[in-house]
Amino acid sequence: MSVFLSSLGFGLISAAVLAIATVGFTMQFAVTNVLNLAYGSVMINSAFVTYYLNYHAHLNAWVSMIGGVLTGAIASYLLNRFVFTPFQRRNLPPITIVIVALGVDLCGTFGLQAIVGGSYFSYKQSLGRELHFWGMYLSTLQLIIIGICVVVMGLIHWLLKYTRLGKAMRATSANASLARNSGIRTQRVISSTWLISGALCGLAGTVFAMNTGVFEATSAQLYIVLLLAAMFLGGPGSAYGAMLGALTIGVATELSAGYFNPEYKEVIAFVVLLGMLTFRPYGLFGSEKTI
Amino acid sequence: MSAIAFYVATIIVYGAVDSMACLALNVQFGFAGLSNFGFIIFQAGGAYVAAVLSMGPWQKSNEGFQQYVLGWHLAWPLPWIGAALFGGLLALPFVFLVGKRLRGDFAAVGLLVSAVLLNQLVNNFVPLFNGAAGISIVPAPFSHYLNPQGLGYQFAYGGVAVVLTVLVYFLLRRVTESPYGRSLRAMRDNDIVADALGKNVRVQRTSMLILGGMIAGLSGAILVGFINLWAPGAWGYAETIVLFAAIIVGGAGNHKGAVLGALLVPLAFEEVTRFIPPLSNPALVPALEWVAIGLLIIGFLWFRPDGILPERRRILSGSKSSMPKPVPFSGESDSLINLGNLDQMDFRQLLRLEGDASDHGIILSTDRLTRAFHGVTVVSEVSIEFQRGRLTGLIGPNGAGKSTTLAMLAGTLAPTSGKVLYEGRDITSMPSNERAKSGMIRTFQLASEFKKLTVLENLVSAIPRQSGDSFVGALRGRRFWGRDDAENIERASEMLEGFGLTEYADSYAGGLSGGQRRLVEIMRALLAQPTILLLDEPMAGVHPNLAHKIGDQLTRLVASGMTIVMVEHELAIMDAFCDPVIVLAEGRVLAQGTMSELRAMKEVVEAYLVG
Repeated sequence: MSVFLSSLGFGLISAAVLAIATVGFTMQFAVTNVLNLAYGSVMINSAFVTYYLNYHAHLNAWVSMIGGVLTGAIASYLLNRFVFTPFQRRNLPPITIVIVALGVDLCGTFGLQAIVGGSYFSYKQSLGRELHFWGMYLSTLQLIIIGICVVVMGLIHWLLKYTRLGKAMRATSANASLARNSGIRTQRVISSTWLISGALCGLAGTVFAMNTGVFEATSAQLYIVLLLAAMFLGGPGSAYGAMLGALTIGVATELSAGYFNPEYKEVIAFVVLLGMLTFRPYGLFGSEKTI
Repeated sequence: MSAIAFYVATIIVYGAVDSMACLALNVQFGFAGLSNFGFIIFQAGGAYVAAVLSMGPWQKSNEGFQQYVLGWHLAWPLPWIGAALFGGLLALPFVFLVGKRLRGDFAAVGLLVSAVLLNQLVNNFVPLFNGAAGISIVPAPFSHYLNPQGLGYQFAYGGVAVVLTVLVYFLLRRVTESPYGRSLRAMRDNDIVADALGKNVRVQRTSMLILGGMIAGLSGAILVGFINLWAPGAWGYAETIVLFAAIIVGGAGNHKGAVLGALLVPLAFEEVTRFIPPLSNPALVPALEWVAIGLLIIGFLWFRPDGILPERRRILSGSKSSMPKPVPFSGESDSLINLGNLDQMDFRQLLRLEGDASDHGIILSTDRLTRAFHGVTVVSEVSIEFQRGRLTGLIGPNGAGKSTTLAMLAGTLAPTSGKVLYEGRDITSMPSNERAKSGMIRTFQLASEFKKLTVLENLVSAIPRQSGDSFVGALRGRRFWGRDDAENIERASEMLEGFGLTEYADSYAGGLSGGQRRLVEIMRALLAQPTILLLDEPMAGVHPNLAHKIGDQLTRLVASGMTIVMVEHELAIMDAFCDPVIVLAEGRVLAQGTMSELRAMKEVVEAYLVG
C-alpha cells in the first residue's frame, strides 16, 4: 500500500509537469498540424533562461519563471512564424516539417549545450518542507507545481470554452479553410496559439527543471517520448485528451517504477504510444482531431 | 607514414559503411517514401548479431567481464549473413506501423520513439547486451588469413567493404530502375492513389523495410568487425538523423546522391572535427557538430530541397531531346487542348476490353449502404444498381453523399453498414487495391497525379500485371521484364498520342496545367484496364470545350463495353452523356431515370434549387 501511495504521489507530480507540456504541444498540432519535435529544446532553453535570472540576476525562482514562460512564448512564436509557416506554404508533406523540426531541435539543444557546456545546473530554490499525507511524500515545491498545473488547466478550459479566441482555435483546428471562409482570421489565431502554447512550453520547461532538481542542456531531449505518449493516448490535437493522457502516463510510469524497476519506467509510455499508433491513432475517444 | 596509411584504410571502411547505410535508407525514404526514423535500430541490431555470432561461447571464467547471448563462434562470412538476416527480421515488428492507414509522420514518430526506447532498454539490460558497456574483443573476421594488426589486413578489409557497397549499389539500382521501382515512387508521391490503382502499399512498404533492414544489418556487421566493439552509446536515435541529413544533402531518390551525402555528412563531419585541437570546453565541438547537422537539414530543405544530385527524370519516350516541354502556366490554355487522334483509336484493342458490349445486366449494386462521420449520417441506406456498358451519372447538391458513395464503391472508404455487390459477389470487405485489381478503378476529385513521375511514367505505372512490377520480377532484371515494359510504354504512348499530349510525355506530371492533369488521370485510369470506371467529378475545373471532348470519349468507351459511373454536379454534362442518372440528396436516393424524366420530377428540381 505504501509503495502504491508514494508512487502515486510521484505520479501526480510527473503528471502535472507532463500535462502542462502536453497541452501546449497538442494545441500546436491542433491548429497547424505540425508535430513540433523541437518542443523539448524550447522547454530546456526556457528553463535555462529561468536559471540565468535566478542564479545570475539573483531573482527569486518563481519570479524568474516569468522569464522562462516569456522565452517559451516568444521562441515558439518565432519558430512558427519563421520556420514552420514558410515551409508549410510550400505545400510540403507533413513528414518534411517533422524533419525540419528535428533539425531545429538539434540546433536548439546543442546550441544551448555549446553555450552552457556539459555540466549540471540547479536553481537556487528551497524545496520547502516535506509534507506527508495519505501515505504520499511531497515537497512544498512539488505541491506548488501541482497547484500551478491545476490553475493552468482551468485557464485553458476557460480559454477554449468561453472566449472568442478559444472558439476560433477550435474552429481552425476542425477545418482551417472553412474557418477562414467564415471570417475567422486564422493566421492571427495560429499566432496566438503558438504564443499561448509556447508559454505553456516555457512553463513546462521551468517546472520540469525545478522538479528534476539538477538538469543539463540535453535533459529534455527524451521528454518528447512521454509527451507523444500522453498526446496520442488522449487523441492528437485534443487539449482535454492531453490532460487525461498526461495524468495516465505520469501515474503509470511512476507506478511501474515503484513496482518494477525505475530504469524501465519509460517503457510503459513507449508501449502505450506504439499501441495507440497501431490501434487507435486518433486517441481512445476521438476519430479525427478536435481540440 | 604508416600511420597515414592506417588512417586511410579506416576512412575507406567508414566511408563504405556510411554509404551502404545511406543507400539503404534512401531506398526507403527517397524511393518508397518511408520515413524510417528508426533506421539505426537495424544497423545496431545487425552489428550486435554479427558480433555475438563470431564470438566464442560465453563462459563465466574467462570472458566473464561481459555478458552476451549466442556465442556460436562462426567463421566469416556467416556472422555477416546472420546480421543481414536479423536486420530483415527486425523489420517485422514495425510492419504494422507502416501499413497504409497510418499517417506517414505518425509512423515516423513511432519508429523514432522505438529507437530511443530500445536504446535505453539495451543500456539498462545487462544479461543480454552487457548494458552500457557493450561488448568488446569482437573477433576480426579475416584473422585466419592475415594479421589483423597489419596494414595489408586493414586495406583488405576496406576492399571487402567497398566491394560489398558496390554490390549493394547495383542491387538497389536493379530494384529501383524497374517497373517495381516506378510503383515505389508512385506510392511515395501519393499512396492513396497508388492503392486505388491496385498497388499493394502494405506489401511494398514491408518489402522495403525488410530490404533496407538487411542492408543496414550488413553495414553494422562490417563496422563491428572492424572496430571490434559494440556499445549502445554509439547507436543513438540521433545517428538516424545524421543519415537523413546525408540523404537530404546528397539528394533523395538518387543512389549517387546517397553515396555523396554519406561521404559529405557522416564521414567528413566526423573526420574534420577530429583535427580540431582540444578546447577548454570539451563538449563544444561535438555540440557544434550537432548544430551544424541541424542547420544543414533546415538549410538544404529550404534552399535546395532536392539535394546536390537531384532525382533523375526518367525519359521513357525514347525521344532524343531531354529537355522537357515547358508547361504553360495559366489554366486558360486548357481551352486550347486538342484531343489528338482519339476518334480513330480502337479502345477495345488498346484497353483489352472483353465481354459483350450489348450485355446490359447488373454488374455492380449496393444494398442499404450507409456511412456516418462523427455520428452524422452522410449516406443513408442507399440501394442502387449499375448496368454493364452504361454511363451512369450520380448527381445531387453539395453534401448529398455522391463522393462518399463512390468512395465506398471503390473501397477507399469502409461503409458503416450495408453491402457492395460486384457481379453478384459481396465485396464489402475487399480492400481497395484488390478491387482495383479485379477491375474497379476510381479517380479522385482532387489532383492525384504522381508529381515526380513523368506523364508517361504516370500512365505506365497503372498498367496491371506487369512482369517487372514485383520485387522478385525486378530482381530478375531487364532481360526478364524489358520486353513487356517496352510494350507497356508503347501502349501508354499510343494513349498519350490519342489525347494529344505526346509532347509532355517526359515532363513531370506535377508541372502540368489543371486540365492536362485531369487528362493524365483519366488516361491513367483507362490504362489500368477497368471493367468499371468510377469517376469523381472528372470535369471539375476543366474548360467546357475539353469537358465535352472528354464526354464524347466516355460515350465511346461505354459503347465498347466499359461500365462507367460518374459523379458530377454539372447538369449540362449529365444531359449530354449520362444515361441513366441517379439523384442523391441528403444521403438518400431521391430519384433515378433519364435526364428528361428527372427534369419532370418536382422533388428533383426542388432538391437542386434548395441545395
